[in-house]
Amino acid sequence: MSILSIGLLYGGSTLLVMFAGMPIAFALGAVATIFMIAFMPSSSVDTITQNVYEEMASITLLSIPLFILKGSAIGRSRAGQDLYGALHAWLHRIPGGLGIANVFACALFAAMAGSSPATCSAIGSAGIPEMRKHGYSGGFAAGIIAAGGTLGILLPPSITMILYAVAAEQSLGRLFLAAIGPALLLVALFTVYAMWRFRREYVHAKAAYEKSGTYSEILRVDELSLRDKFALLPRVLPFIVLLTGVMIALYGGFATPSETAGLGAVLALILIAVIYSVWSPRDLEPILVATLRESTMLMLIIGMSLLYSYVMSYLHISQSTAEWIVSLHLSRWVLLTTILLMVVVLGFFLPPVSIILMTAPIILPPLRAAEFDLIWFGVIMTIVMEMGLIHPPVGLNIFVINNIAPDIPLRDVMWGVLPFVGLMILGVVILCFVPGIATWFSDLVMGPAIVSK
Amino acid sequence: MVHGLDTVGTASEAVSPEDTAGFERFIAPINYIVVVFSSVALVIASFVLSYSVASRYFFHFSTDWQDEFSVFLIVGAVFMSSAAVQARRGHVAIEVVSHMMPPRANHIRLFLVDVASLIFCAYFCWKSWLLLHEAIVEGFRTGSTWQPPLWIPYSLMTCGMLLLSIQLLLQVANHMARWKKPV
Repeated sequence: MSILSIGLLYGGSTLLVMFAGMPIAFALGAVATIFMIAFMPSSSVDTITQNVYEEMASITLLSIPLFILKGSAIGRSRAGQDLYGALHAWLHRIPGGLGIANVFACALFAAMAGSSPATCSAIGSAGIPEMRKHGYSGGFAAGIIAAGGTLGILLPPSITMILYAVAAEQSLGRLFLAAIGPALLLVALFTVYAMWRFRREYVHAKAAYEKSGTYSEILRVDELSLRDKFALLPRVLPFIVLLTGVMIALYGGFATPSETAGLGAVLALILIAVIYSVWSPRDLEPILVATLRESTMLMLIIGMSLLYSYVMSYLHISQSTAEWIVSLHLSRWVLLTTILLMVVVLGFFLPPVSIILMTAPIILPPLRAAEFDLIWFGVIMTIVMEMGLIHPPVGLNIFVINNIAPDIPLRDVMWGVLPFVGLMILGVVILCFVPGIATWFSDLVMGPAIVSK
Repeated sequence: MVHGLDTVGTASEAVSPEDTAGFERFIAPINYIVVVFSSVALVIASFVLSYSVASRYFFHFSTDWQDEFSVFLIVGAVFMSSAAVQARRGHVAIEVVSHMMPPRANHIRLFLVDVASLIFCAYFCWKSWLLLHEAIVEGFRTGSTWQPPLWIPYSLMTCGMLLLSIQLLLQVANHMARWKKPV
């Protein structure tokens, strides 16, 4: 059989079993195994389990469960609400300050917890009711939280970034640092939009009030005292300083990613024990069970995805596809746009982890040949996958929001989220023109890349 | 729908029909114990890695065993708890078609999916056992300076896949028992 027909068969059967509803991990493993038995020497079939073990036993990949532990420890404490409350107290005087407080809270929480859905539910469960109480429309409130939550996969410690670093053989520390600038760019875009949208809803409400006397809560101005401003700080500051400050320092090169993850998990457990007295086995059980469930699910998908791409490259499917793409001699930007569109489409169905591991061997060689900086591309690809978390039809965050604020119709949530998808596209375009936003900070901390190809 | 990294709890499996209830009673406590041990393993791994940072930073010790020890703990936790995750249908799948099919066809689909998963996991389990056997007989060790024997993680992988296969077998049996006695 020619490589082309094997490749088509491989892709086709994968789509078939996945859409039949077989769990992603088993589907990838089963397809890979069948093709190993059919097309590869029996000696390689014998080492299949060794293969999976060796791929998974990488200490970098195994930092993922520890980052999840850290995230779920923070996510299941009151830290999210307190963080949000503190930011609200400080920002409420700015027009649209409440919305901005939510964006900031999402970003800070994402940096501590590293998970997008966890950020949505932690900040959203406090932030959405508060915004609605203040007259924000349901869609707007939901959009802010859904979009803010996606920063969880962009800001360090992002699990998707860890996988990208492994798949693209790039420095994880550099990748983490390169994500900070673009994340701040997105925060700025979201903030400007929140102010503008608030202004518009405010003007509408004011006009309606002057015309018909219907009072909207959006017109009310909160008065929070200086005491309110400082009340929550003692509980919030330790989290921010220890979990973001220390971590960023460590990414600079003092510790390996897995050590940073382990230390982060320990610090998070100590902080919730000291500040929120969450320490008894009964309190910790839901945190640990959630961590284990998510880690096991993810790590099996990762292990099987790696087996899947190993088979793909052994059978020369990925190399041939990559060579074919290179031979098309697409212009750089056409190539980039095509690849990003493919990522968007895959994002309709697959979680970011599988997208990265399954596509990396195919899309990275052409990008390298077109002389794109792969660190920069990792950031771009992550933002595009962030969009997949919030755009219809299957944006995960939309459903998280639907869970925590069931009274906002799904339709409103989707419409509220769309402008943020637009802002992310704008962010990607800006990064294409000014790549320095991503590479500047990592080059500053770690020195210029030694031709990062 | 694709549920990526959600921590939102998935509904537990519906109450199993009587035919398999005894079996269920046998495996549920095992899964519970495994989950407890795996959780503790993750926490220990975090402490070990933190210790590794501290010992290097403050005492300038070189780190040799910490990374591998954590790898064993975490890989073990992942494989061992995969059955408990499957018991609650926690391994994500693409569920788009389930909304488009009539209930009867959907049941058949779920049955086939479970059978296919069972075959794959049983095969993987068998291959892990062969690997474990070889590692014990040949005395395989890792290539590091610490050189722990490889049968430790391999046995955890084999046991985990065995538990997962048993769990899947139970779920396949549940499907069949439900067919015998239509509700």
